[in-house]
Amino acid sequence: MTKFIIRRLLSLIPTMFVIVTLSFFLIRFAPGGPFSAEKKVPAQVLQNLMKKYHMDESLGRQYLRYFGEILRGDLGPSFRYKDMTVNALIKQSMPNSMLLGTLSLALAVALGIAVGIVSALKQNKWQDYTAMSLAVVGISVPLFVIGPLLQLVFAMQLKWLPTSGWITDRAGLKTLIMPVITLSFPYFAYIARMSRASILEVLRSDYVRTARAKGLKESTVIGKHVLKGALLPIVSYLGPAFSGIITGSIVVETIFLVPGVGKIFVQSALNRDYTLIMGEVIVYSLILIVMNFVVDIVYGFLDPRIAYK
Amino acid sequence: MSTNIGQAVNEFNQQVAAVSLWADAWRRLRKNRMALLGLWVVGAFAIITLAAPILPIYDYTSQEMTHINLPPSLKSAGSIAIQKVEKRIVELKGLVDGGREDLRPEMDKIRAELESVKADVAKNPKSSKVYLLGTDYLGRDMLARTIYGGRISMMVGIIGTITAVLIGIIIGAIAGYAGGRLDNFLMRIVDIIYGLPYMLIVIILMAMFHKDGASSIVILFVAIALVSWLTIARVVRGQIISLKNAEFIEAARSMGAGTGRIIFRHLIPNTLGVIIIFATLSLPSFIMSESFLSFLGLGVSAPAASWGTLVSEGVQGMELYPWRLLVPALAMTIFLFAMNFLGDGLRVALDPQSKNRT
Repeated sequence: MTKFIIRRLLSLIPTMFVIVTLSFFLIRFAPGGPFSAEKKVPAQVLQNLMKKYHMDESLGRQYLRYFGEILRGDLGPSFRYKDMTVNALIKQSMPNSMLLGTLSLALAVALGIAVGIVSALKQNKWQDYTAMSLAVVGISVPLFVIGPLLQLVFAMQLKWLPTSGWITDRAGLKTLIMPVITLSFPYFAYIARMSRASILEVLRSDYVRTARAKGLKESTVIGKHVLKGALLPIVSYLGPAFSGIITGSIVVETIFLVPGVGKIFVQSALNRDYTLIMGEVIVYSLILIVMNFVVDIVYGFLDPRIAYK
Repeated sequence: MSTNIGQAVNEFNQQVAAVSLWADAWRRLRKNRMALLGLWVVGAFAIITLAAPILPIYDYTSQEMTHINLPPSLKSAGSIAIQKVEKRIVELKGLVDGGREDLRPEMDKIRAELESVKADVAKNPKSSKVYLLGTDYLGRDMLARTIYGGRISMMVGIIGTITAVLIGIIIGAIAGYAGGRLDNFLMRIVDIIYGLPYMLIVIILMAMFHKDGASSIVILFVAIALVSWLTIARVVRGQIISLKNAEFIEAARSMGAGTGRIIFRHLIPNTLGVIIIFATLSLPSFIMSESFLSFLGLGVSAPAASWGTLVSEGVQGMELYPWRLLVPALAMTIFLFAMNFLGDGLRVALDPQSKNRT
C-alpha cells in the first residue's frame, strides 16, 4: 500500500510539469502581449517595463526563471494589477472559492445520497419518479440557466434573497444560498442517479439476501450492508465532481458576483495577464490532481477487492 | 444444454428468432417512450435548424430600432405600438375623470400622438412584422436568433463529437491492438492530458486566439476537440483489448487479414455500440461547453449567436424583459433534455446483456 501511494505520488510530478510547461508556452505564443492593449506607451517606458518583468530575455531563460520561482512557491507579480503579486491575489480570493466549492460539494453529496437511497427503496413509486425527474432536470439544464432563473424568481420577483454579493455584504450568509444551490444542483443530480442505480444493484446481490435471511432488521441491512457496497462508486465520482465544481464555480462566481478565483480567472484571461493566468491554472491543477490522488487512495482503503501491489 | 446448437437462444436455452444487434436495439428503443420522444424532439430541432434559411423567419441580424424589447405576441409590431398608446390614454382618462384636471393636456397630446402613430404604422411596411417570440435589445427577432443560435450550438456539438470519436477511435484502437510499449506510451499521454483542467485550457485557448467573426468558431472547435477524445480512446482501447484474442479475430488472422483490416473491419464494428452511446451522451456536453464559454464572453462573437450568447444577453435586463432569457434557455433545455433521454434509451437498448429481452 505504501509503495502504491509513493508511486502514485511520483506520477503526479510529470503531470504538473506538463501543465506548467504547456501553459507557459501557450500563453507566450499567443498574439498580443500584456502591454499591447489600450494606450500606446513610449518606447523607453515599454523597454523598462519589459526589463522589469524580464520579458527582454530569451524564452528559454524566462521559462527556467519562472520554473525556479514556482519551485520556491512564488508565482510572480501580476502584470495588470499594479503592486499585487499573484500569490496575494490568489490568497485573497481562494478562501471564498473554497467555501463556495466545499459547501456545494457537501450539499450535493449529502442530498444526492439521501435522495438516491429514498428513490431506490421506493422504486417505481411517486417518490422515485419525483426525485429522478428532478435529477434529469439537474443534468440537462446548464448552470448558467439555473443561476439567472433562481435570481429572477427568488431575488427579483419574490424578493426573498439578495440578487448577488458575498457574505461580507450587508445581506450576510443569505448571499450564499443561491450560488451554493446553483453550483451543487448538477452534481446532486448525478450523485442521486448513481447512488440509486448502485443501491438497486446491491439490493439484488447475494450477500444482502443472506443478511435478510439471517433475520437482520431492515435498517441494519440497508445501513450496514447495502450502503457500504453501494457508495463506492460515489467515492470514485468525487474526483470528477470536484473538477466540475471548480470549473462550474467560474460561471457561478460571474453570475452571483462572488469575489473568488473564478472571477479573476476570466478577467485575467481577457486581460492577458500572463503570470496571473498561469498562477491560477497551476493552483487549480494542483488542487485537482491532489483531489484525484486522495480519492484514489480513499477508494483503495474502502474497497477490500482492490489489492495494491 | 446443447440441444440448440447453431440457433439463437436466450438464457433459459429457449429458442428465439435470430435478430441482429441493431434490429434488437431498435425494437427495445421503440418501447422506451421517453427515448422515442427524445428522438422526435431531436429530429424536429435538427430539421428546423437545417431548414432555417428557407423558413419564413426574419433575418437574425437585421436590427429594427423602433421594435426593441417587444414581448412575444401573435400581433404585428405596429398594432402592439398602437395598443400601448391606447392603453396609456385609457389610463389617463381614468385619472382625468377622477378629478385630475391637470392631466387633460397630457391626454390630448397623447391622443394626437395616437393619430401620428397610426399613420406611421399604416405607412411603414415594417410595422406589419409579427414577432412570435419577441425581440431583443436591438430589435432583432428572438425566434430567428434562437433558431440560428441552435444552428451554431448544434454544429459545435456535432463537429466536436465527430472529431472526438475519430481521434479517440484511432488512438484507442492502435493502443489496444498494438499493446506493449506503444500502448503504455499512448496511455501515459492520455493520463497526463486527463490530469489537465480541461475547461481551463479551453478558456486559455479561447482567450488567446479570440477574434471577431468566423475564426473564433474554428478556434472553439479546435479547442474543444483537442481535449475531448480522451474518454473515447480509453473506452475503445478497453473494448479492443477484450476482443482482440477472441476466436473470430484469430479466424480473420488465419485467413490472412492484415492489421488494418482486422482493426477496421472486425474490431471497431464490434465496439460501435459503445461509441454510439458515448457520442449521444457527449453531444449535449459539448453544447454545454460551448454555451459555457459563450456565456463568459469567450465563445461565438456577434453578430453570430449561439444559445450561450443568447442566454448571456438575456440575463442582462431579465427583470424587465424575461422572454429574452427564457426563450433561448427553454429551447436549449428542451434540446438537452431530449438528447439525454435519447442517450439513456440508447444505452439501455444497445446493452448486449439485455439482448433478446424486453
